[in-house]
Amino acid sequence: MPERTVAVASSVGLHARPASLFSQAAAKLGVPITLTSASGKSVNAASILGVLSLGIGHGEVVTISAEGDGADQALDSLTDILNTDLDQA
Amino acid sequence: MAGEAEPALSSLLAVGSIHLTATATDREDAVRQTGRALLNAGAVEAGYIDAMLARERSVSTYVGEGIAIPHGTLAARDWVLRDAIVVLRFPDGVDWQGNDVRVCVGIAALGGGHIALVSRLARVLLEPRAASSLRMAVTEDQVYAILE
Repeated sequence: MPERTVAVASSVGLHARPASLFSQAAAKLGVPITLTSASGKSVNAASILGVLSLGIGHGEVVTISAEGDGADQALDSLTDILNTDLDQA
Repeated sequence: MAGEAEPALSSLLAVGSIHLTATATDREDAVRQTGRALLNAGAVEAGYIDAMLARERSVSTYVGEGIAIPHGTLAARDWVLRDAIVVLRFPDGVDWQGNDVRVCVGIAALGGGHIALVSRLARVLLEPRAASSLRMAVTEDQVYAILE
């Protein structure tokens, strides 16, 4: 299954605004995306509650994975989001 | 973290922090009321309310399941006096940019405590029965039980 491993760039981590923007983007991709924390917990990336529940801080490494048509493209676009400091955006 | 006993989320609910029959004209009104509840609980200074509104305008704090979690921006943490949550239930619903919000859980946390607090709250609300119980709560005890 295609996956990407990324360190979260936002200074508050995957929380608040960055978490919302990440989840909204994941929901729009049309491909189910799984977000997994370094400790191995997985959630649906399109669920804001799921993303928030992981409590991922700045610089923490996460893995996103997806299956099916468009998976690679979807993961690339989410990787860009994780690589951006969205607190400043 | 394993084995570390964290105080129950309900311990962050001050007396008078639960409002089960609130009504709001719109999202901003609901956020303002949530902020005032935090202010009345002695958890924040007045400036925090403006930061909550700013945060909400920037990106919605709607998290699904009819629940929003208004809170201030990172820059507003100086307005926070102590960790606290407040619960406002809107039985008639509030239009939240097309979503129907029935419960606002307002959050204030000192320093970097924000992420951990929101994460714990999200873990509770991820359980669909917890979210629906909160939407339907008619007594304060029910709210305390959900946030145990």
